[in-house]
Amino acid sequence: MSELTTAHFLFLSAALFIIGMVGVLTRRNVLIIFMCVELMLNAVNVSFIGFAWEQNALTGQIFALFVIAVAAAEAVIGLGIVMALSRRLDTVDIDEVRQLRE
Amino acid sequence: MAIEVLIFYLLAGVAIAAAAGVVLARNPVHSAVSLVLSFVNVAAIYVMLRAEFLAVAQIIVYTGAIIVLVLFVLMLVQQQDLPEFHGGRPLRRAVGFLLGLALLAEVAAAILTRSLRGAPGSWTPEAVAAVGGNIQAIGRELYSVYMLPIQATALLLLAATIGALFLARPELIEERLAIARRLFTISLAHPRGVDPLQPVAELPAPQDGQLKLAGGDRALVMARSAEEFTEQPAWGEIRR
Amino acid sequence: MDWEALIISYLFGFVLLNVLLLLMAYMTWFERRLVAFFQDRIGPNRTGPFGLLQPIADAVKLISKEDIVPANADRLIFLVAPLLSFVLAPLGALVVPFGESITLFGRQINLYVIDINVAALYFLAVGSMGVYGIILGGYASGNRYSLLGALRSTAQVISYELVLGLSLVGIFILTGSLSLVEILRAQQRTLVLGGLELPNWFILSQPLAFVLFLIAAVAETNRAPFDLPEAETELIAGYFTEYSGFRFSFYFLAEYINMIVVSLIAATLFLGGIDGPFADGIWWLAAKAFIFLFFYVWLRATLPRFRYDQLMGLAWKVLLPLALINIGMTGLVRLWGIGAL
Repeated sequence: MSELTTAHFLFLSAALFIIGMVGVLTRRNVLIIFMCVELMLNAVNVSFIGFAWEQNALTGQIFALFVIAVAAAEAVIGLGIVMALSRRLDTVDIDEVRQLRE
Repeated sequence: MAIEVLIFYLLAGVAIAAAAGVVLARNPVHSAVSLVLSFVNVAAIYVMLRAEFLAVAQIIVYTGAIIVLVLFVLMLVQQQDLPEFHGGRPLRRAVGFLLGLALLAEVAAAILTRSLRGAPGSWTPEAVAAVGGNIQAIGRELYSVYMLPIQATALLLLAATIGALFLARPELIEERLAIARRLFTISLAHPRGVDPLQPVAELPAPQDGQLKLAGGDRALVMARSAEEFTEQPAWGEIRR
Repeated sequence: MDWEALIISYLFGFVLLNVLLLLMAYMTWFERRLVAFFQDRIGPNRTGPFGLLQPIADAVKLISKEDIVPANADRLIFLVAPLLSFVLAPLGALVVPFGESITLFGRQINLYVIDINVAALYFLAVGSMGVYGIILGGYASGNRYSLLGALRSTAQVISYELVLGLSLVGIFILTGSLSLVEILRAQQRTLVLGGLELPNWFILSQPLAFVLFLIAAVAETNRAPFDLPEAETELIAGYFTEYSGFRFSFYFLAEYINMIVVSLIAATLFLGGIDGPFADGIWWLAAKAFIFLFFYVWLRATLPRFRYDQLMGLAWKVLLPLALINIGMTGLVRLWGIGAL
């Protein structure tokens, strides 16, 4: 592959997404899980922008822009919940948060 | 090999390595720093993809605001509360990595056999240059075709702001008192008449076990009133 | 790809960064002398004529000091954080236009490193990255006071960056571009106001935005009266308490480079940059930037430090609503075509 193709960007996107997914599945710290979710959202953006580049369309870029805005909203709420968690339960370990189960 | 491809491999390599660092780092602050590195490299790749505005938006919003907030929360959360790395759950770890590999194989197959292609859009590099550049083109598209979604996004952000205000509001004094009672023994010198939450008549008389003397692993906190104890922002400090 | 233009851009950027470093060294001398005069002292005057060699003496002293890493520091981050601050500080200057272009040796040479479509946002992005040097330095020191200083600084920089960004939106609305070169071109026109010919500088059409930008820029660079992150009397120098030797000097220098870069950007955005009477040129930009630098020192010598709650209240309750009002009004003016700016 001597020239940049969409496949390059799709593979980058897939790699980032999967690393983020593995992080969500294996880590226990809420904040690290949160960061991995951001990583996954970002990976999706790479795909969107890659397709926009391939198709000479701005739709992908605008979609990515909305993803960023939604990620910001999600960050605000997510971090608020983490703060509330650490205040109420004195922990940010996702396995310790099982008040509804017990 | 074209120089663009080399630059791409460099940026993508660093982005992926840094992303792996997020998952593998033991210290959450190191994870956050890795994440910043990954995001900056991805932003550089956006520039290669003729998406300058998104590259800058990525840096301002993600690294400049979201990750800074994450670091902020990391530092506000007590360090001893942070769980240990993986904490001896090998099964979950193995399953996570296996699922990741499976998904990678699946996506790779999908990318390599991709046959669907959408119709090319009208925003060729020349068309974008004609309206003044990437940011002008995005602006035109965003405020004509996507008018409704952007209004909805504004509403979403407003809702998120209100939600965050609610979640992060100063705790009600009774909640703080409840937490404090769980963590410490508060010795109130004048329990009757100074607690703002309960009128004098309803305040129960101190009974055995309700107010403990210092002993066991619980700290004794001396305060003249519940208010005096809880109004301090850093009430976690044990004042004697 | 036009390799020659690329190399020329790189060389120009290299020269610019070196000039910035030199200016920054003399900014420290200038500030010390000026503050001394404000306080009826003499200031450093022993090293060389008028103390002009003082920055060099300072540099030698700082470099020869021991580089201490505290025992409970997060070693890697502790070592990298000051470098981060220092490297990010001058990057904003790369989009400042020092003129259009000149012809040298038969080649057209642009008097700016790069003219990008998102230059103003790029400046904000680099500024927002700068906060990492502070927060990571404060965290890695393993010291309560440093951490407190870092947290304060983060909250402050995030809040004021919002004001900084929003104060510029009025200019973007008027020029229809985020490129500093375009903004400069827009200001080189003349504004006819009641028979009076004025330069179309944005300080005249956006006075509120200019005041907001000025306040936010001082806060963004962590300078007095907004220097809470390093409040000596309450936080023992805040995030760089534990730093010594040349790592300390990196933080110190980053602050001065930030001041110079912000002054250059402010002069370009609001005071017409290189535009001026008689002959346009880089000297006008230098003179305008100098006014801002003088203003910085003047503020430091005159005003006491804000209280923390006052600082955050000012950003969120006063400056941010004003910035939004400014954007709305500019939009309405643009919509109705008043004045045809």
